[in-house]
Amino acid sequence: KWKGEGTTQNLESIVIGRCYDYIRIVNPAVGEKNCSQIWEAFKNAFINKDPCSILPKDYELFINFTLHTIPPNKSLFWENNQLLVNSFADRGRRYMSLGDTLFGFVGDFLYWCGQADSPGLDYESCPTTVECENNAVDSFWRMASITYAQHSSGVIHVLLNGSADGGAYPQPGFFADYEIPNLQRDKISQIVIWVVDDIEGPDIDSCGAHTVKTLETRLKTLGYDVTCTDNNK
Amino acid sequence: MPLPQGSARARQRTVLLVGIAVLLAALVLAVVLASLLTHGRHEVSPQMLKWKDRGTTKNLQEVILGRCYNYITAQHPELGDKDCLKIWESLKDAFIYKNPCNITPEDYQPLMELASHPVPCNKSLFWSKTGDLAHRYTKSNQNFLTLEDTLLGYMADKVSWCGDPSAPGINYESCPKRSECESNPGSVFWKMASKMFAEAACGVVQVMLNGSVEAGAFRSSSIFGSVEVFNLDPDKVSEVHIWLMQDIGGPQSESCSGHSIQRLISILEERKFKIICEDNYRPVQLLQCVHNPDHTDCRLCTNST
Repeated sequence: KWKGEGTTQNLESIVIGRCYDYIRIVNPAVGEKNCSQIWEAFKNAFINKDPCSILPKDYELFINFTLHTIPPNKSLFWENNQLLVNSFADRGRRYMSLGDTLFGFVGDFLYWCGQADSPGLDYESCPTTVECENNAVDSFWRMASITYAQHSSGVIHVLLNGSADGGAYPQPGFFADYEIPNLQRDKISQIVIWVVDDIEGPDIDSCGAHTVKTLETRLKTLGYDVTCTDNNK
Repeated sequence: MPLPQGSARARQRTVLLVGIAVLLAALVLAVVLASLLTHGRHEVSPQMLKWKDRGTTKNLQEVILGRCYNYITAQHPELGDKDCLKIWESLKDAFIYKNPCNITPEDYQPLMELASHPVPCNKSLFWSKTGDLAHRYTKSNQNFLTLEDTLLGYMADKVSWCGDPSAPGINYESCPKRSECESNPGSVFWKMASKMFAEAACGVVQVMLNGSVEAGAFRSSSIFGSVEVFNLDPDKVSEVHIWLMQDIGGPQSESCSGHSIQRLISILEERKFKIICEDNYRPVQLLQCVHNPDHTDCRLCTNST
């Protein structure tokens, strides 16, 4: 029916389990959270609805329940280099990427969607972004990205892939469309951009060139103090 | 007490009432005395044993189940036939309601059987005193697996559990430290899981040791030194590669020519394994350099792009 992967099996157990894993082991500093309530809020965002009609604000309650402080100077935004980011961020110890927050942690690498007029999850297939923009997963990440940007402060870091097809700063993209517009200028002291090429990969983009130049200009116009470094050690 | 009817029956009833009242009073007195005497142990679970280490992880069931499903569904679909509910039940049955100083390998046998799975040859990575670094390495290089990257280790990593004979059978307040008793649920679990991980290894195996530890990189008292080394199967394992990692800018207590390493090498050679030892194996050192990019040891080659 749809072209994308269906809902991940045992989604409820995985989400609830990750929620408790996060508050008990990964980052107990966030305090007590009601993981069953969080699962309900998450599920209610998309079940019993047309899977092409899910909007970011449908996840508002889920975000309310999972929100916690992001320590200043620890935000790490990224495009096209998730594995590198995870290893660099060191599970929140060095940096706290979106995937290291409670709301990002529970959804990472999972797929889900519902169906109209039925409380069930669709395990067969889910719509891709191409089939419809307002699908459950994309809207989730839009809401999560917006929230993450709104609560970031201090020095923020952006890790871009200088070997990516089409440029290091993708437009359209999550960083361009959902994160930059939601950064709180009065809370941010500096934006540090790192452009890293794949080892033995092509050097398609770098500081001061092409898409990265577009990004630097945009951020400076918005009034931010911006620095950029190539191939971070 | 006034006796308006002065009949014998009424007197009997009064005696009965007085008797009951006296009995009740005695009962209340006994309860009060008992609670006073056991006052010191009047907490949430007044009868549970007290230990020195942290208690069972709260929401243990949800965490274990979630991790199991996460592992087999989202990360290793080839293990799709594993039954996570059964696995959780077998873990729980291993320790619930039992005295946490009396745990035996037999207690964990059903769990080990349900949750174990083969490890591809040449991919086993053992470690001792280098846990953080070893796991960062396997996260970035999926060509190697530590015990904590297998289903059993993944579920149990950083989690603690122990039981108690009194209800509810799980002790969330405290659990025994190894120094209090060796046959505690955690120690027995990791010893068994490590033994099986070593037995399952084949081909070339790797071990990451810490060359900045004062007590020596290889210690016979570690799980690696006491369990894993002796459970590698010489019919399956051909070579052992030792990666001797020193902290960047840290003490260089030992290198491949060091005392304890020589001891390890002789133990392994006696068991007919071929050994290669490498000081500061570069791919792993690069990971250490992420935290120390300006150190001389972390300078990149000048002729790379």
